[in-house]
Amino acid sequence: MIEVVNFTKRYGDFLAVDDLSFTIGKGEIFGFIGPNGAGKSTTIRFLATLLRPTSGEGRVAGHSVTGDPMAVRRVIGFMPDDFGVYDGMKVWEFLDFFAVAYEIPRAFRKKIIGEVLELLDLTSKRDDYVSGLSKGMKQRLCLAKTLVHDPPVLILDEPASGLDPRARLEMKALLNELKQMGKTILISSHILSELADFCTSIGVIERGKLLAAGSIGEIQQRIRAYRVLKVRVLGEDTTRAKEVMSNDPSVRQIESFDHTVTAEFVGRDQDMARLLERLIQSGISVQSFAEEPLSLEEVFMMITQGVVG
Amino acid sequence: MRLFDNPVLTRELLTTLRSPRAFVLQMLYIAALGAIVYFAWPAESEGLRQVSPSVARGLFDIFFLGQFFLVALMAPAFAAGGISGEKERKTYELLLASPLSPGAILFGKLASALAYLVILIVSSLPLMILCYLLGGLLLSEIIRAYLVLILAAGTFGLLSTACSSFFRRTSSALVVSYLVILPLAVMCVVLTRTDAPSVREFVSIAVLPPWCLAAWVVLAILVNRRLLHPPDVGSEGKDVIDEEEEMKYAIGVVIDRDLFPDKLFAPAKRTDLMPDGANPVLDKELRSEIFSQGTLMLRVVIQVSMLLSIPLMAGLLFLRSDKAGYYVAYVLTFNMLVGPVFSSGSITQERERQTMSLLLTTLLRPVGIVAAKLIAALRVSTVLTFLLTEQIVLAYVMLGELRARLWTLMVFFLIIAVTCLATSTIGLLCSALARKTATAMVMTYLALLLLFAFPIGVERYLAGDQRFTDSQLAAFTVTSPFSAALNVPMHTTRADMAGLNAQPLKVADTVLVNVAGLRLPVWLIFLMIYPPFCLAGFGLTCLVFRFRWWRAGVQG
Repeated sequence: MIEVVNFTKRYGDFLAVDDLSFTIGKGEIFGFIGPNGAGKSTTIRFLATLLRPTSGEGRVAGHSVTGDPMAVRRVIGFMPDDFGVYDGMKVWEFLDFFAVAYEIPRAFRKKIIGEVLELLDLTSKRDDYVSGLSKGMKQRLCLAKTLVHDPPVLILDEPASGLDPRARLEMKALLNELKQMGKTILISSHILSELADFCTSIGVIERGKLLAAGSIGEIQQRIRAYRVLKVRVLGEDTTRAKEVMSNDPSVRQIESFDHTVTAEFVGRDQDMARLLERLIQSGISVQSFAEEPLSLEEVFMMITQGVVG
Repeated sequence: MRLFDNPVLTRELLTTLRSPRAFVLQMLYIAALGAIVYFAWPAESEGLRQVSPSVARGLFDIFFLGQFFLVALMAPAFAAGGISGEKERKTYELLLASPLSPGAILFGKLASALAYLVILIVSSLPLMILCYLLGGLLLSEIIRAYLVLILAAGTFGLLSTACSSFFRRTSSALVVSYLVILPLAVMCVVLTRTDAPSVREFVSIAVLPPWCLAAWVVLAILVNRRLLHPPDVGSEGKDVIDEEEEMKYAIGVVIDRDLFPDKLFAPAKRTDLMPDGANPVLDKELRSEIFSQGTLMLRVVIQVSMLLSIPLMAGLLFLRSDKAGYYVAYVLTFNMLVGPVFSSGSITQERERQTMSLLLTTLLRPVGIVAAKLIAALRVSTVLTFLLTEQIVLAYVMLGELRARLWTLMVFFLIIAVTCLATSTIGLLCSALARKTATAMVMTYLALLLLFAFPIGVERYLAGDQRFTDSQLAAFTVTSPFSAALNVPMHTTRADMAGLNAQPLKVADTVLVNVAGLRLPVWLIFLMIYPPFCLAGFGLTCLVFRFRWWRAGVQG
C-alpha cells in the first residue's frame, strides 16, 4: 500500500533522510519510531505530498507521490504533528469544510460527518467552536478531519503527542478501531509504548537512516542471539529445576531468584518444548514456563545502540 | 517605572537594531533627503541671493510634510505590533506574569517603537540646517517643526500601542491606528501649515503640546489598566468570541449578519452543510473568519469612517459640489487603509496558524484557494467602502448641478470599484510574498503609497517647472485613483436650480494625456490600466503561492 524507495532528503549540507526504503502492506499498522529529529516527520511529509525528495520515490496505493500528488491526496488521510485550526468555525463546519475540500457530495456529507463525530466521540461537541476545544479534542478533531473522505491509508504524525494519559489511552483505542476497519496506517511516535500494542510492524529510524524494519517478532529475532526464558516453580523445586536446566545444551547463564529461574536460551522452539517436557518428567511443579517478551523500548535501545547493523 | 534598565526596551532594540536592515534603511532615508536637497539647491548662475529664500522654504516644506507623514505612517507600523505581537507569539502571558510593571512594559514597547523613528527624524537635522543657511527661514520655525514632529511621533506611537493592547491581531491594531491617526494628521498639518503665522505659532506652541500631553496621560492610563487586569489572557487571549454575546455589550454600531447592508459583507453563519460545488475556502473566509477576532475592529472602522464622512459630505458635496472629487478621494483613502486588512493577511494567516499543510493536502487547487481569498477580501472591502458612497448618491439626487452631470457619478463609482480591486489584489500579492501578516500589511501600504500617493506628490512638486507640460505631468499620475477622481471634470459654476436647462453649466477643462496618439483623460487611463494590472497581479499571486509551496517542499 505504501512503498518508499531510496528516499533521500538533503537540506543544504544536512542530510535529513538517507536512502530510506520500506514497504507497508495493506491493512498493516506501521509504527515509525525514532528520537526527535530522526527524520520521521520529513518522511511523513514526503508521503503526504508536501515535500519534494532530493532523490528517491514513494508510492501510495499505486500512485506516485511526486508524479501524481492529487491521486495520492485522495487516498490518504494526513494528520500533521503540529497543526492549527480555523477561528470562528464550529466543529461541524470544520468537518464540512474539509469534506467539501475533498469533493464529497452534499448528499453523503451529513451522514459522514455524523459518523465521524460518533466514531471520535465528538458528537456532543458538534456545535462548539473549534478554537475553544482542548488540545486533546483538537487532536481528535484533526483525526476526524483525516477520516471524512474515508481514505484507505492514514498517515499520522505523532497523533498522541501532548495528550494527557487518559486522552492517550482514548487515542489508542481509536487507532485500534481504525485498525479493525482495515485501514493501512503509518503512525510515528517517539514514545514506544504508544505503538507496541497494535503495530503489526515497525521501522526504527535514527539520524535519517532506517536501522531496522519488519514485524516486532522478526526484529526481535534478528536482534537477539538468545531468548530469555522464565520458569516459575512451586515449593522447594528451584534448585532441582536449575539442575535440570543446566544439563540442557541450549541453556546458558542460569539465575534464580525466589521461585523463579531465569535463563538465556539459544535453541529453537522445539528445543524449548523438550526442556519443558524434561522438567515435568523430573517431577518439578512448573507453575509457569514462558519466554520473556522483549519490550519495544529494549528493541529500540538495542537497535539504536548499534547492536543490530 | 524602570526607564533605562528596561528589559522590554533592551530586547526590542536588540532585535531591531541587530539586523543591518535598520542601518540600511536609515542610509536610504538620508540619501533620499540628501538627493532632494542636492537637486533643489540653487545653481550658482541663478544668483543665490534672490532665489534661495524661496528654495529654502520649499525644502523646509518638503522636509516637514515628508517627515510628518513618515511619522504618521511609520509610528503605527512600528508600534501597532508591540503588544498584539506578544499575543500572536504567545509570549503575552509570560510577559504579564513577570514582575515587570505594566508601565514598564508600555514604556519599553513605546520607546523601542519610537526610538528608530526619532533617530530618523533627528538624523535629518543636519540637512535641515543646510537649508537654514540658504536664508529665509527662522530658527524658531525649525525648532517648532521638530517639536511638532516629536509630539506627533509620541502621540501616534502611543495611540498605536493602545490599539495594540486592545486588539488580538496586529493587522486589526494597525488599521484602526491608521484610521484614527489619518484625520488627526491631516488636521495637524492644516493647522500648523496655515498661511497666518500667528495661528501657526499659537497652534504649535500653545495648543498641540498640552493636548498631546493630555492624550498621552489618558492613553497611558487606559493601556496600564488593560495590562494590569488583562481581559484577554487565557489561551493566549484567543478565547472564542461569541458574536451574540459581544453584540450585547457593543457600543454604537452593532453588526447584524441578518440585516442589510451587513449581510453583504458578512453573510449569516451556515446552519446547514455547504452546497455541492461550493468553494470551501470562500465560504470559510466570508462566514467564519471575518468575525473570528470579534467585531470590534470592524465596528470601530465603520463608526470612525462614518463620523468623518459627515463634515466632509457637508463641505465637499453640499457646500462646494464642484469639490465632489475630494469626497471621492476620502472614500478612496478609506479603501486604501481598509482594503489591505482583509487581503494582506489571508495567505500569511494560514501559515501563521499552521493550517497550511491541512489545506494543501486536500484536493483544492492553488488557483481555487487564491481566487477564494481574493473574492472574500474584495467583497468585504468593497461593501465597506461603498457604504461611504451613499452620501455621494444623496448629493447627486438632491443637487441640480450634480444631477445634470450624472455620468460623472458613474465614473466616480467605477474609480472606487477599480481601486477596491487594486487594493485587494496588491494586498493578496504581498500576503503571498511575505511570511508574516504584519509585514504583508506594511508592504501593501508601501506599495499602495507608491502607486497612489507618490505620483501626486511628484506632480505637485514639479508643477511649476517649465520643462514639463500639464499633459506630461498628468501622465505621471495615471496610477493614482486620487488623480483620476480629481481629474473628472466638474462644473465650476453653481447652477440656478430653477433655470437649470436654460443655463448650461460651466465645466472645468480636463487635462488630457497622450497615449499612442490618442488624447485621453487621466481617469479613463486609470480605469483602463488597472483591470489588466490586477489580473496580472492575481496570476502572479497564484505563481508566488505555488512557488512558495514548491520551495517549502524543497526546503521543508
